[in-house]
Amino acid sequence: MSQNAVIVCTWGEDQDGLPVGAEEVLHIGRGLAADLGTDLAWLVLGALPSAAPETAGRYGVANLLQVEDAKLESPQPDALVAALAAVAGERSPRALLFHQTQASRAVAPRVAGRLGDAVVMNGVSADLSGECIVVTASAYGGDTRVVYEVSGRCPVIAFIANAVVPEPGDGAAVAAEALSVDLTGVEERVKIVEPARFEGPRLDDAEIIVSGGRGLGSSDNYKLIEQLAAALGGLPGASRPLVDDGWVDSSQQVGLTGRITRPNLYVAIGISGASQHMAGCSAAKTLVAINRDAEAAIFQYAKYGIVGDALELLPELIRAAGAR
Amino acid sequence: MRIVVCVKEVLDPDAVNNYAVAGRLEIGDDGKTLTQTAIPRLMNGFDEQAIEAALRLRDAGADFTLAVVSAGESPEKLLKHAAALGADEVVAIQVDPGSLDYHLVAALISAQIEASGGADVVLCGRQASDDDQGVVPALIAERLDMSLVTIAKAVELEGTTLRITRVTPDGDERVETACPAVVTITNELGDPRYPTAAAKVKARRVKPTTVTPDDLKLDADDLAPRVSVTRQFVPEVQGNCEMLQGDSPAALADALIEKLRADSII
Ligand SMILES: Cc1cc2nc3c(=O)[nH]c(=O)nc-3n(C[C@H](O)[C@H](O)[C@H](O)COP(=O)(O)OP(=O)(O)OC[C@H]3O[C@@H](n4cnc5c(N)ncnc54)[C@H](O)[C@@H]3O)c2cc1C
Repeated sequence: MSQNAVIVCTWGEDQDGLPVGAEEVLHIGRGLAADLGTDLAWLVLGALPSAAPETAGRYGVANLLQVEDAKLESPQPDALVAALAAVAGERSPRALLFHQTQASRAVAPRVAGRLGDAVVMNGVSADLSGECIVVTASAYGGDTRVVYEVSGRCPVIAFIANAVVPEPGDGAAVAAEALSVDLTGVEERVKIVEPARFEGPRLDDAEIIVSGGRGLGSSDNYKLIEQLAAALGGLPGASRPLVDDGWVDSSQQVGLTGRITRPNLYVAIGISGASQHMAGCSAAKTLVAINRDAEAAIFQYAKYGIVGDALELLPELIRAAGAR
Repeated sequence: MRIVVCVKEVLDPDAVNNYAVAGRLEIGDDGKTLTQTAIPRLMNGFDEQAIEAALRLRDAGADFTLAVVSAGESPEKLLKHAAALGADEVVAIQVDPGSLDYHLVAALISAQIEASGGADVVLCGRQASDDDQGVVPALIAERLDMSLVTIAKAVELEGTTLRITRVTPDGDERVETACPAVVTITNELGDPRYPTAAAKVKARRVKPTTVTPDDLKLDADDLAPRVSVTRQFVPEVQGNCEMLQGDSPAALADALIEKLRADSII
């Protein structure tokens, strides 16, 4: 592989045979590599996702690299950071790109720290200004965008890519090339004593989400949100105050510091539309807002809106959704 | 044992939201900073919860010195609050915020920690509510060669072992790590306490230890910014909502469900 490539870094695999967000970040990486006049590479840490070779071809990946090691079987942070830093040391990439997840949020900045290179999270796009890579990132939960100029050899950039619409081409599949990295000295310093117990479908993957906010008034009323979600064949979500007040589990929080969702339909009920909430749902194809305040910010993002009382509307919505 | 909590001063995010919703959030002539001088400055909420996490360790009987550190223009107000809550040492690293990048903040805080007796635990908020970056804790962990545990909602200390509950997309995860470690705190930790009136009065007399980048003897590489802000702007929101009409909740509900069926969304 040529030196100086833009490298998209992933690990893990979702139901559709790819890591979450891989296509979106490959799409961004392809553009950045073209601007820089360099190759796009894709570095897979651990098992190769089944759809990786075909997908690599469709995004113009010149080299599909794979580091396999017993320590990357179910990748933990210390092994990931060590492997990424080793590959970066050997291959002198022009940039390392990540899809932002909770895991990459902890790994990417450590890689930057180890390399002594720039790091930017929450990226929404990357461009070139002269020789410099320029990253536009979300700030204040989405109220503003900050444009960062990143200097140095190998900036590390993570993207919130859920608003990106990837455009695959039709290149031929790329065979994976094995890289070996010495991880013998790496011990995970954090031991998982009790793993998170994944229960049922996740908001991140849901096609329909009905979320309730503080406008519901009391925790008892949240069951109406659950009923409407069930009637529409979707999942219930919530804004942060409901989590902070213990009405719902934190895995149901949608937003900047909760789940980043991209459903077909997002129904926000009694939610004001603060940027930090919208960061987790504004990529929905159709957003419906129900709020008794006609001036609520949520209506700016909505396709359909109803001004009214959530508690009067919810039983009617449950009835109407159930009726065929 | 020594615990260091890192705190940052930010613009009140709720006030920023209110300006944004009203369409009145503006960027100044420098193209970078928000013009609204009326927005209060306060301690980043997650950092307040990081102090709370330390205080809960103390409540549970752990014996340690608590140092609270902030890098910025004038962190005195935050540090007095920290002193009133029970911090034994409060340290202001005085730097021009305009020249700060994340590596530099991490370099300054790490150097200060090393120069002042080290740390067994470094507690930080999971991210700052202004730039939302959340990279400084990881950079400190790398510099000080500590383990890193992110997004913690409960922290316990047993000897030199930390037992931590993390919030993950798949629910809570329990982990253990040996000190020294950097731990980032999330809002699920719960409400931070207020200082007592007496402690507040006493804290008024506290003078933070002030250090400058020169005192910390950083080398040229540490001081070289890697990331600089060239611009900040307020993104436009489409605003194209069809308001449904109906003379009763039932009629409105029917109207919405019909729309969604007609669009083949449900
Ligand atoms: C750093 C940071 C991170 C954050 N992360 C997140 C996050 O991940 N997710 C998140 O959600 N928030 C997050 N927040 C909080 C966010 O800023 C808002 O405070 C929060 O989203 C508000 O929740 P809400 O809309 O339910 O409540 P409110 O803002 O109080 O809004 C309630 C709404 O309900 C309406 N209402 C009241 N009664 C009724 C009724 N009877 N019928 C219909 N409507 C009614 C009101 O008009 C109002 O619009 C974060 C904040 C910060 C600073």
